[in-house]
Amino acid sequence: MTVVVGYVPTPEGEAALTQAITEARRSNTTLVLINSSKGEAAVDDRFAEEGDIQDIGERLPSQGIQYLIKRPVRGHDAAAEVLDAAEEHNAELIVIGLRRRTPVGKLIMGSTSQRILLEADCPVLAVKAR
Amino acid sequence: MTSLTTGLKGRSELGVALLLGAAGVLVFLDANGLVTPYSKSDPVGPKTVPFIVAGMLEVCAVLLALNVLRGGKGEAEGGEDVDLAHPADWKTILPLAGAFILNILLIDWAGWVISGTILFWGSVLALGSRHYVRDGLISVALSLLTFYGFYLGLGIALPAGLLEGIL
Amino acid sequence: MDVWSSLMDGFATALTPMNFMYAVIGVILGTAVGVLPGLGPAMTVALLLPVTYALEPTSAFIMFAGIYYGGMYGGSTTSILLNTPGESSSVVTAIEGNKMAKAGRAAQALATAAIGSFVAGTIGTALLAVCAPIVVKFAVSLGAPSYFAIMVLALLAVTAVLGSSRLRGFASLGLGLAIGLVGMDSVTGQRRLTFGQPLLADGLDIVVVAVAIFAVGEALWVAAYLRRTPLHAIPVGQPWMGKFDWKRSWMPWLRGTAFGFPFGALPAGGAEIPTFLSYVTEKRLSKHPEEFGKGAIEGVAGPEAANNAAAAGTLTPMLALGLPTNATAAVMLAAFTSYGIQPGPQLFTSQGPLVWALIASLFIGNFLLLIINLPLAPMWAKLLQLPRPYLYAGILFFATLGAYSVNLQAFDLVILLVLGALGFMMRRFGLPVLPLILGVILGPRIEGQLRKTLQLSAGDPAGLLGEPIAVGIYVIIGLILLWPFAYKLFRRSRPVAAPAGGAAPLATEAGDAVHSNHNAVYTNHKERP
Repeated sequence: MTVVVGYVPTPEGEAALTQAITEARRSNTTLVLINSSKGEAAVDDRFAEEGDIQDIGERLPSQGIQYLIKRPVRGHDAAAEVLDAAEEHNAELIVIGLRRRTPVGKLIMGSTSQRILLEADCPVLAVKAR
Repeated sequence: MTSLTTGLKGRSELGVALLLGAAGVLVFLDANGLVTPYSKSDPVGPKTVPFIVAGMLEVCAVLLALNVLRGGKGEAEGGEDVDLAHPADWKTILPLAGAFILNILLIDWAGWVISGTILFWGSVLALGSRHYVRDGLISVALSLLTFYGFYLGLGIALPAGLLEGIL
Repeated sequence: MDVWSSLMDGFATALTPMNFMYAVIGVILGTAVGVLPGLGPAMTVALLLPVTYALEPTSAFIMFAGIYYGGMYGGSTTSILLNTPGESSSVVTAIEGNKMAKAGRAAQALATAAIGSFVAGTIGTALLAVCAPIVVKFAVSLGAPSYFAIMVLALLAVTAVLGSSRLRGFASLGLGLAIGLVGMDSVTGQRRLTFGQPLLADGLDIVVVAVAIFAVGEALWVAAYLRRTPLHAIPVGQPWMGKFDWKRSWMPWLRGTAFGFPFGALPAGGAEIPTFLSYVTEKRLSKHPEEFGKGAIEGVAGPEAANNAAAAGTLTPMLALGLPTNATAAVMLAAFTSYGIQPGPQLFTSQGPLVWALIASLFIGNFLLLIINLPLAPMWAKLLQLPRPYLYAGILFFATLGAYSVNLQAFDLVILLVLGALGFMMRRFGLPVLPLILGVILGPRIEGQLRKTLQLSAGDPAGLLGEPIAVGIYVIIGLILLWPFAYKLFRRSRPVAAPAGGAAPLATEAGDAVHSNHNAVYTNHKERP
């Protein structure tokens, strides 16, 4: 069993990670961090920088947590990547960060969180940025 | 060079030398085939420059082959959006070329709107986009826009092909 | 010919509402393609060539001028925000500028680049306006032997001096000359390299060749090696500079301009050497040498100015002699030919209004760039979010459309694909594309001059040396060709101290550039008497 967290380098993403660490420690399971990009644009600010990911990779063991970091870039959207990972790693919980979106914005862009909430087979914990 | 021995492996650049050599021979044979009586008003004639070019190509071919065999290597061109760390992605190139060739075959018969749509849609697909419907709509819109834009704006009538009469 | 009044007439032409609009379009388009990864000004002008057939040549060239300068500016934006220099001439900008941006000084880096480009571009264009007529006055007195020599010099210099491998440069040049041979011989009407294909009798359309090499070849190349890992753009607000930044920038701008223009105007100067020279000079003169490599504003201001001044310098031989020395100038020259305008020293007399409108529009474009780019920098950065499949598919789409619309025959598309594949192969194996395109453009003209020369001398090869200028140029050509051997000897007899192990790669590179240049000056002096 694992805890899967969809990470983006934003306040929402950080909040999700913090919460996921708490959950993973509580149930003593592996934390699977997903930070994906479709790789379509030359620049993707939601794809964390190598340095940030290394920092996280160093921080997690010091908190006594087993972890796995995955950074797929294969043209799939973030929801699909998180759901894939949840299935593959037999997740007991998915943690995601929520951000405020106007209804119109949601209509145009679709919502990653919404897709995960609707399609996941396990409980989903959605947190907001503090 | 019928069999690719291990010594030639990783020396695909020899192909470039081969191409240069072949181009040189071609230029030479072509120029040699020209029949020109000597004329006072044109002492150089149409053959001289091709001969020089052919010679230059042959010299380059030989030198390049030597250079490659001695371990020389051409520096692949970098760029803003280029990552030379991974090998060439033939799964992208071949479908791209396929879309291009399809366009060549279709353009006169089916018309620009259809062939252009196939070209753009196929290219986008080859390049890894997975929004089939959205891509399709954009392709059609782009082809139609350029068709009418060229006709109305530039006075160039691109072929209408199968859609003759409809457009 | 009075420069000032011609220039004023040029402004009058360039400022008509229609032409001004094309200048604005050119500047915006140029900046956009400069910012977008994988697109450059040469490719853009090539893609636009067919579309501009319907325009007045003057309007088209005003737009091209905007693209030329805009592309340079846009390129520096990406270098600073992404640390991905698109061309070797913006490597230095990328290093200092990106460090500045990472330290939270992106606004100042962009500002000094923009204002420095404006200053250098304006001074450079003014120098162009002054120098070009002088060069023309000198050039019209030259005869066929000298022209032949000058063109050979330009071809060989670009091939031998620029790029990392001379051998591969010459290979590329040979291919270009061969492509230039295709078609009917202009003197005897014989068909060369047409293989009985009537469609080849008129030769390969230069537009198709340029689009194939610069657009199709490049798109295929990038597609094959597309960077999959997304980059991070450093967030940026409105560019601005404080008083202190101005103080540190203005001298580097002027010095950079002084380096850039002459190098650009030389047949093989290019923009790469002056940017490195400017960088090294600023480092030496700076009161803050310790900041270099960590984001010194002088290291952005100087090289950016040098880059833009070189761009203006490049236009001097292009307009005055019909000799292009960089890719964009080559494509612009191709545009002249496809409009039926004969490039060369006659250009200023036969197409005076066009040339002066073009020069005036360079001033206008520079000014537009400044007022458009300072406020719009954040918007340009947004362009980087564009999905790349659309970008590269779009290049192929418009390349096809353009090449097809020239003659409306599918055969041209076959040529487009074949030459596109050639362009791909050349990029793969390190054959520079510039000598090829110069060979295609200049080859037929060189042959024409050669035949004219020998016709005048009734077939006596000594006719080639019939003018003192020609002899002088052959000496220079000899020096350029023999240079690497002399350099090797020089190195052997005086071993150069190896660069310190800990030196940053840039420092060594820049050091080498300066080094070899010093040597070049040295040898020239020695050989002159």
